[in-house]
Amino acid sequence: MRSRRSPSGRASRRALAATLGAVGVFAIALVALRSAEPKFFPDDPIAREPDTQDASGAVPWDIDLFYDLSYNLFVTPRRAPASVRAQNVNTIDEVPDSSWFTNRIGTRDLTVEEAVRGPIVGPAPVPSTWTITREKSAGAAPGFTARDANGETWFVSFDAPSNPEGATGAVVVSTKIFWALGYNQVEYFITEMHPDRISIADTATTKRPSGKRSRLDRDDLNAILERAARSADGSYRAAAGRLLPGKVLGGFKYQGTRPDDPNDIVPHEHRRELRALRVFGAWANLTDMKAGNTLDTIVTENGRGTVRHYLQDVGSTFGVGAEGPHDWNEGWEYLFDGRSTVRKLLSFGFAFSPWQTADYDNYPAVGRFEGDAFDPQSWKPRVPTAAYFAMRDDDAFWAARRVMAFSDTLIRAIVKTGAYADPRAEQYLGDVLIKRRDRIGRTYLTKINPVVDPVLAASGLLAFGNAAVQHGFATAPRRYTAVWSSFDNATGESSRIAETASQEERVQAPSGLPAAVGSFVRVDLSAEHPEHPAWARPVQVYFRRQASGWSLVGLERQP
Amino acid sequence: MNRFASPPWVAPIVGALLLGAALDARAQSPPAESTRAALIAARQADKAKSVQPYAPNKAELWVKQLEEQFMGGGLRWHLFFESAYAGGGFTLGGGYRTFVGSFSTIDLRGSWTFTNYKRIEAEYRAPRLFNRRGVFSVIGGWREATQVGFYGIGTGNTSKDDRANYSFQQPYLSVALDVRPTRRFFLLGGGLEFTEWNQRPGQGSFPSVEEVYTPETLPGLNASPTYVHTQGTVALDWRDSAGYTRRGGYYGVTAHDFADSDDTYSFRQVDYEAIQHLPLFRDAWVLSLRGRVQTTYADDDEVIPFFMLPSLGGGSSLRGFTSWRFRDRHSLLLSAEWRVLANSFLDTALFYDAGKVTSSRSDLDLNGLKSNYGIGVRLHGPAATPLRVELAKSNEGLAIVFSAKAAF
Repeated sequence: MRSRRSPSGRASRRALAATLGAVGVFAIALVALRSAEPKFFPDDPIAREPDTQDASGAVPWDIDLFYDLSYNLFVTPRRAPASVRAQNVNTIDEVPDSSWFTNRIGTRDLTVEEAVRGPIVGPAPVPSTWTITREKSAGAAPGFTARDANGETWFVSFDAPSNPEGATGAVVVSTKIFWALGYNQVEYFITEMHPDRISIADTATTKRPSGKRSRLDRDDLNAILERAARSADGSYRAAAGRLLPGKVLGGFKYQGTRPDDPNDIVPHEHRRELRALRVFGAWANLTDMKAGNTLDTIVTENGRGTVRHYLQDVGSTFGVGAEGPHDWNEGWEYLFDGRSTVRKLLSFGFAFSPWQTADYDNYPAVGRFEGDAFDPQSWKPRVPTAAYFAMRDDDAFWAARRVMAFSDTLIRAIVKTGAYADPRAEQYLGDVLIKRRDRIGRTYLTKINPVVDPVLAASGLLAFGNAAVQHGFATAPRRYTAVWSSFDNATGESSRIAETASQEERVQAPSGLPAAVGSFVRVDLSAEHPEHPAWARPVQVYFRRQASGWSLVGLERQP
Repeated sequence: MNRFASPPWVAPIVGALLLGAALDARAQSPPAESTRAALIAARQADKAKSVQPYAPNKAELWVKQLEEQFMGGGLRWHLFFESAYAGGGFTLGGGYRTFVGSFSTIDLRGSWTFTNYKRIEAEYRAPRLFNRRGVFSVIGGWREATQVGFYGIGTGNTSKDDRANYSFQQPYLSVALDVRPTRRFFLLGGGLEFTEWNQRPGQGSFPSVEEVYTPETLPGLNASPTYVHTQGTVALDWRDSAGYTRRGGYYGVTAHDFADSDDTYSFRQVDYEAIQHLPLFRDAWVLSLRGRVQTTYADDDEVIPFFMLPSLGGGSSLRGFTSWRFRDRHSLLLSAEWRVLANSFLDTALFYDAGKVTSSRSDLDLNGLKSNYGIGVRLHGPAATPLRVELAKSNEGLAIVFSAKAAF
């Protein structure tokens, strides 16, 4: 029997250890090779979310609106939001352009002329004659599909008799607002229809209560027009939306992805621009935020089919809809709100809700829309969405900056496109939008660390802004603190260099920043403000060293 | 023997082999993307391998089918909760409706109650005549009520303990036409009905009327008149819907002529009804008010059968009293409801009803009214109240009301 301490035994154990070590190195190498994904790629931050696959195989779907409504009313609210960071933001916390969204206001200077034009690229309808070609396929509001005198197809909708100019003005104005915010929008125009100049195409049919289709007749037309506001001269003011290009696929859901669109890889509830509708919707009072008011179309771009996503109908904004004024609690409560129901039942209606005491000026063209009692955080659509619940404070901050980018002048110019006959109504609508804008800014720009637009000069001077201070919603903090670290892009590890501080919106870097081109530095920027303790949570900013200096490559705002 | 013994040159060789394997593995694994755009493209390419059309889940399919049945004219079988006659109790029933035109329907339906009230009828309904100004209907059927309560004639001089029962069987055929010349507000209605009231002894636990009364003490006892009943209504109606509304009013007069085939039991009746719904504090509440007077006219040689007299009591009039509790030549009913709108589908209400029946028109005043109060819950849609449950209290006790209609 050999001694355990024999030289050959020691050699064997060394050989065994070496073999095991080699296996360990192999395993680590394999894992590293397989998961080697740096935090920042050379093309970060991307400005456009690419659609690389051909989506021409996507097929129309028919989202059942009643199911969608019921699900979002009773199931979605019971699912706790996971506080997941928006998944379509780029590395500097911005939403890249995509088939969903185009950066406009807040990213670049948007002129008044651009905003007033909005999504319009073609000529207005020629209303001398109209030919009805189809009944309205969705929604209860009066309207139909018709061809104008030039033979172009339009979706036509009207105002409720109780609120002349209300719905048509709202859809035209809101379309421009949401276009400026970045959404794909339908081209809408204010136009008119005179019953004597409306004909009905032989092919126009309507579905009867029996379920069968029969030809749309004059009485059907009259039934539609009876529910619309008629002008003194017998004509009807209408909003005409141009037929969208491409093949219509139906609406999109505010959760999940389209299973037939290969480019749709981010669950919709995690798309920042859809989450942000909680803020934008609150601003404009977009209460009817359902799948039925969205639309996907498939268009050909670069020889490939691409699905383009629209907020198709943003007409349920401000204080009036196509069937009359909003319900009093619209914008304040869901269509069904269990807690509110119990409260009202137990108090027999005496537990007042804010909507019962809010003051509204009486402009039928604007409806129930006000800015004094408005609270952006408690605003509610009729039916919530998964994206609505998934919104985090960093999403809201992003959205609030966009809202705040609308100047008073821009808002009033856009409101003017609603062609309101009463200048007081136009003034009031502009006033309310400005008030609500400021409420949104005051609420969300102060809620989390508002450090924005960091720039690190080659000299090592870090300059930045404070969105809350810029808009006058907060005083300057006592001081800003910057914790500087070198950052290893491959491993994701940071190595602290030093901490510097300043009372101004500029902080000098310490010595010892990496100087090699391609190296990274991380700065954790926080602010100390007695009224805003949340500002102490740092914004993490990353810069990449380039030959010419430092370029911003990352920004993460903690909710 | 040491099983782990191996020459010292093994480890470097194993290491080299493993490194080679690792490099080979890297060569065979998907390449790590070098740009963000490439990373997104890779994920999209990965999804492209498994794209498929949207497939609704079972719940969505079920809801869709239900919608198509309801909204697409495909729903033929339906529930029917209307009892043969008021006071029949819990009602079960169903019907089969089919379209005979784009809008017109024929509905065959029937109902039955645990007290053996029965009803079977067919209705033809044309809801869109005269360019949406008119609704025409024809109803033919047969019904039987087995134990209709009769408590005597008058208000203060009757007692719930004096209940007697009667029953009747009735074939009927009626036509009705409602016209709204301006499509809104102004309502004209007309109807013609052929009907035979075959009065029979009452069933149930109470004595039958002929055991308590005689033809001399109870007008129309044992009578089985055959009526040609014509009626006409003039009204202003600007409620959103008669089935459910939060605002608007109804002010109408309906005149009836009941012509008995042998003229013995002929009489006339006029109903005056006023309903007003007043939304309060931004629809937090609705104050609903109703007043109704029914008054009959008969010549000296004409007799109004007891079972045709205006009456009060039951879930649509004096809710704290049993159905048909009060009967006489004339009636007055006043109701007030304070409705709390809990949400878009649910209302609750406190209500108060008061009324009386009189033998003389001049006694239709506010003296000696019978009253009740109560609380109720209603499930409703925009234009209908499919379920109304109420608890009412009167000096004669508690009453529970289940109904598939609005109170008024």
